[in-house]
Amino acid sequence: MTKITQTRRGFLQTAAIAGAAGLTGAFPGIAWSADGDTLTVRFDREMESLDPGYYVGGHPPNDVNWCIMPALAHFGMVDGQASWVPSPYVESVEVVDSTHIEFTLKQGLMWSNGYGEVTAEDVAYSYDRMTESEWKGDYVAYERTEVKDKYSGTIVLNQPFAPFMNLTLASGTGIILCKKATEEAGGKYTIEPPATCGPYVMEHKQAQYVRLRPNPDWTGPLPAFANIDCIFVTDSEAGALAFEAGELDCAKITSTSYARYLKETPPGAALTVAGALQYMWMGINIENPKLSDIRVRKAIQRAVDIDSIVQGAYSGTAEPSYGIICPGLVGKRDAAGYSYDPAEGKALIDEAGVSGLNLTLRTLNSPERLLAAQIIQVNLAQIGITVEIIPLDSGPFWEMGQESKGDTYKDMDLWIMRFGAGPDPYEATQWFIRDQVGVWNWERWSSDEFEELYNQGIGETDQAKRHEIYVRMQEIMEETGGYVWLTHEPEVFIHRDDIDAKFAPSGEMQMAYFAPK
Amino acid sequence: MWWYLLKRLGLSVVIVLMAIAALFVMLHSIPGDPVSIALGPRATPEIQAAYAEKMHLDQPLAFQFLIFVGNVLQGDLGTDVFSNRSVGLTLSEQLPYTIILAVAALGWAIALGIPLGCLSAIWPNSWIDRVTGVLSVGTIAVPSFLVSIWAILIFAISLRWLPVLGAGDEGDVIDQLRHLILPAFAVGLGWVGYLARMVRASMLEVMGENYIRSARAFGLTSRMVVFRYALPVAVLPTITLIGVGFGGLLSGTVFAEIIFSRPGIGRIIYDMVLARNFPVVQGAVLVTIVLYVVVTLIADIIVSWLDPRVRDSL
Repeated sequence: MTKITQTRRGFLQTAAIAGAAGLTGAFPGIAWSADGDTLTVRFDREMESLDPGYYVGGHPPNDVNWCIMPALAHFGMVDGQASWVPSPYVESVEVVDSTHIEFTLKQGLMWSNGYGEVTAEDVAYSYDRMTESEWKGDYVAYERTEVKDKYSGTIVLNQPFAPFMNLTLASGTGIILCKKATEEAGGKYTIEPPATCGPYVMEHKQAQYVRLRPNPDWTGPLPAFANIDCIFVTDSEAGALAFEAGELDCAKITSTSYARYLKETPPGAALTVAGALQYMWMGINIENPKLSDIRVRKAIQRAVDIDSIVQGAYSGTAEPSYGIICPGLVGKRDAAGYSYDPAEGKALIDEAGVSGLNLTLRTLNSPERLLAAQIIQVNLAQIGITVEIIPLDSGPFWEMGQESKGDTYKDMDLWIMRFGAGPDPYEATQWFIRDQVGVWNWERWSSDEFEELYNQGIGETDQAKRHEIYVRMQEIMEETGGYVWLTHEPEVFIHRDDIDAKFAPSGEMQMAYFAPK
Repeated sequence: MWWYLLKRLGLSVVIVLMAIAALFVMLHSIPGDPVSIALGPRATPEIQAAYAEKMHLDQPLAFQFLIFVGNVLQGDLGTDVFSNRSVGLTLSEQLPYTIILAVAALGWAIALGIPLGCLSAIWPNSWIDRVTGVLSVGTIAVPSFLVSIWAILIFAISLRWLPVLGAGDEGDVIDQLRHLILPAFAVGLGWVGYLARMVRASMLEVMGENYIRSARAFGLTSRMVVFRYALPVAVLPTITLIGVGFGGLLSGTVFAEIIFSRPGIGRIIYDMVLARNFPVVQGAVLVTIVLYVVVTLIADIIVSWLDPRVRDSL
């Protein structure tokens, strides 16, 4: 038997050698960049779920699903406008009338794991299932899918619903699942779809990457990039640096980086604004005794200098907001019903007989929003209101106004809020109806007229009338004094200028449509 | 030695058990409903009820604690609420990356810091000592995240010598080493200065001891005096420091893991806190605590082996 011995001196010598060996592990490499047939993109967070009924946030789940799962429609450009187009999975999709949509799937599209062809039964199952899901709001007008034969069917709506094609079928909630595989998985899944069908197959390593590789069974049109590597880079500045180092072909960037790159775009790079479907406002709790006098709320509306916020917090890259309907959508307002006028604000405060008012302003602790909060703090000081800023991380922030999460909502005064929207005004308005008070309507108001207009907007197909409806709805919101409109933040991507990059209007990457120029 | 080992092991077990208890208390002290906190605002009442039953949150607190301790002792760290994957499996994928980064960072810091400290002590107040002193204080003072960004700007963006994203391709050792250089440099730089100052101070103290003077009087060469008689004694507090430092790095590499988008324990804690995936956070914190205790234990054992006087001090 061999006896292993080690002296103290021997140990120290070995440790020294090991340390030196560790140092010599460092040696210079050479420059590298993305391979010609591989697209490398940034994902800014890990995915919680790819299930279209239960995912949280459009990016990155939709980016992935559009590469590995069927849908009847995708986003494309029609007459220069972002709109739905038939997907590569269908022979045809046709809006027959305001409540009927006919479709015919391509034949021979095979599910993975031996689940056979994609059929109209799968379409019916997928959409029926969505009416019970967390995204059922997108299916508010969906009645049923009538299956005609193996590959074709008719989607029937329970009422005319103008945004159905864009908001539902072409968006992330319009993904089609394999009925048999999903049922076998218990009717629901998280980040491992039980069956996929698309130009790519997915390999996922938690908190590291999603790799999309060619699907050998795919019979549809081939994407330009054979491989896509999606790297999880949670820090935005790290993502921008990685792009500059040539390790990413496309990365979503912040307003700060956007402003920097507008001044000096790196060689070989291009900037694309994918849309500005974000709306940010400062909410005011109208039930709070300190703010129950509408003159105080109107004074606050007039005291906040939006131009300073746009310049100071967003370096001029965000668009001023006049409501919740985003640029490019029906119902977008051209101006708010009030303007920056601190003198008028002070007069309103004096008229209300309020003095020495102290308020809290809660915000997510991102740099831009903290800067916006500081500007508001200075603005409100001009009319005699002292503001204490409370920065919060995302957990407590998103729960603070919800009645089901505790009593914090009772103490809330002001907060900076931002929602993302879909490509139709309906989606933005749904969070402010009466049922949403204490859920997402943290300003805690309701209006019969607003409810009536909300229902009219769903069914109205005339664009001019819809515009009037949604403009009026925003006026109602503004008249409560519960809102100070702030900005529409753009979704900006930096990418190689020799790549034709495609994005959904909601800001996700349509990676299967990326192509070299 | 064996008695010392036994006492030290027992102490480590007590520390781990106390840490588990503290973690359990902290998790149950978070304001709000733990089910809502774990699953987020969108979960339906049915999902919340199923989760509460699965995680035994509908049971008395004492029972929950026993189940928690029992599961941990069996190596069951729970299930990721989003992916339904085993937390242990997730952490076992991430942990090697953090250990490799910590070893590489401390490795080069030791290889450079200890010799620099020795040189400074052998020739105190010389130009080597002064330059080392300035560099040491400088590297300690500069925040590591700043070093990371400078390193990226110089070596990845300007020179394009080194990669900046990820940990390299699996199975490609050369690629993984290239991806290790910048983060290890950034994490380890501060330690170079720290170790150099520590070794210098210890060496100066030891070099003034009588037995060193005797060694010189016997005509031994300076090299022999320094490396055979002074350094082995002077390095003892440094080994303790390295042990504690290595334990700290297991969670302290988080900034490098985020900036360089490397997988690792620190980054998964950061990402999962943002995602409110508390079972993973809980498991990762627990693993970090256990590793910290183990590494400190190993350092103490090494010191007690090198310096028998320590064995009587516990």
